[in-house]
Amino acid sequence: MLADLVQNTLDGLAAGSAYALLAVGFTLIFGVLRRVNLCYGPAIMLGCYAATFVHLSFGAGLLVLALVCVLASVLAGGYVERLCFAPHRKGSGIAAMVASFALWMQLEEVAILALPKHLYPFPALYDGKPIDLAGFTIRVEALVMLGAASVVCAALWWVLYRTRFGIAARAVIDSPLAAELSGISVPRVSMGVFALASAIGGLAGFLVSASFEQVTPMLGMWSTFKGLLAMMLGGLGSLPGAVAGALVLGLVEAHSQWFLGPQLRDLLAFLMLFMLLAIGPRWMTTR
Amino acid sequence: MPALLEVADLVTAYGKIEALKGVTLEVAEGGITCLLGPNGAGKTTLMYSIAGILKPRRGSIRLRGEELGGCAPHEAVSRGIALVPENRLVFPSMSVIDNLEAGAYRRQGGRTGRGEIDADLQRMFGRFPRLKERSAQLAGTLSGGEQQMLAVARALMSRPKLLLMDEPSLGLAPLVVEEIFRIVSELHRDGTTVFLVEQNAHMALKVAQHFYLMEQGRVSFSGDPGSLAEDEVIRRAYLGSAK
Repeated sequence: MLADLVQNTLDGLAAGSAYALLAVGFTLIFGVLRRVNLCYGPAIMLGCYAATFVHLSFGAGLLVLALVCVLASVLAGGYVERLCFAPHRKGSGIAAMVASFALWMQLEEVAILALPKHLYPFPALYDGKPIDLAGFTIRVEALVMLGAASVVCAALWWVLYRTRFGIAARAVIDSPLAAELSGISVPRVSMGVFALASAIGGLAGFLVSASFEQVTPMLGMWSTFKGLLAMMLGGLGSLPGAVAGALVLGLVEAHSQWFLGPQLRDLLAFLMLFMLLAIGPRWMTTR
Repeated sequence: MPALLEVADLVTAYGKIEALKGVTLEVAEGGITCLLGPNGAGKTTLMYSIAGILKPRRGSIRLRGEELGGCAPHEAVSRGIALVPENRLVFPSMSVIDNLEAGAYRRQGGRTGRGEIDADLQRMFGRFPRLKERSAQLAGTLSGGEQQMLAVARALMSRPKLLLMDEPSLGLAPLVVEEIFRIVSELHRDGTTVFLVEQNAHMALKVAQHFYLMEQGRVSFSGDPGSLAEDEVIRRAYLGSAK
């Protein structure tokens, strides 16, 4: 029993760290645009498809694939930003959200047309044996995910709090009008933040694909849901909150899958969100 | 004194409604010019038009003879215009020092050295000692007066040729208002050109050299403090009836 608890906690933290990357990207985009980008996940999925394509055609190694994932996600994210969000910067948030839904469908179709089988294999992050430590098996890919997420979060903190771009990004998140008056080009900074968020999402997509050892068109919806759920659990708009929400989501999923079964796993995650919304809607708006 | 800012026949509209219906005025270099007027007269619209937030429909805005009208707000900052907006609009979840860094955004990473910006930071802390005490504090936790000081300091960090101030005394206690006006006159003494929107005509009379009155999108009066005090209508509306 105790061994199960510890093992599930480790697995939950690993999944949670992938969710954390997705949630952080989501939060950055939500922060600068005040818009929900439903196409965040599908852009990442397209990045992973690009990597799969490179893998199938040239048999490229993991590092190259990671790079392709990140670059292609940034390109796809930029496409989404130009088409859905740049035209509606001062206009309707609903229009932008609906447009991002339309692009979601479009990107999914593109992926299916390019690689028509439902499922493609993705090279494994690590195919050796798990580490045995004091009776617990620790999957190496879980450690890699946890490590990568920690490094990315630390790097992101450094960018936001120690660079000129970071000051501009936080200024735009705080007050776009005051940022413009301070000489910050809001459209340009927003695009930069969008690209940064897409790069983080691309890395998350790579880690998830390589640990599941497969890609399917469902990865898009999966990423959007997990990212959105973790961001909302963390209180909408706070980066530390997004990380915390993601880890909680990962832990709850891992434990409920073990003790209650996979059918109840997703239900529990949504139930948690429902209770938060019902009990304390103010949780969602405080930062 | 030559005019630093010349606004001519400026029309700015929200949809079909013209908030500015042909505004013409000048701001003298090195002076304090004050714009009075009731709520809804178009004062803030004028400030936003000069700062590039709103695009004028017609007319011209010239800074030292160079046309500004229609340029983006960050471009206006580069050309030397800084606006201290109504209600201050500091960045609430950023520290005081990061607010000031954001004010110097266009000067960073370019030709201006880090040393020059650090020197300006020290100058701001010298002028506003409260900001120095609270430099690591989040701007949203400051009092209204402190936020106003921060908004002024942030604007000054861009080294503006022209400082626009939109109702800096709004919602502040009388003592704090006096401090704000003391700072305005200090800035004036140091050579900064200030264009001030103010409802508090009594305070403005102590510092400004030229006055404009705006009503319903038009300039309805222009004159020095003496002629302002002599104008019967203005005196009754802005200074109380006592002569």
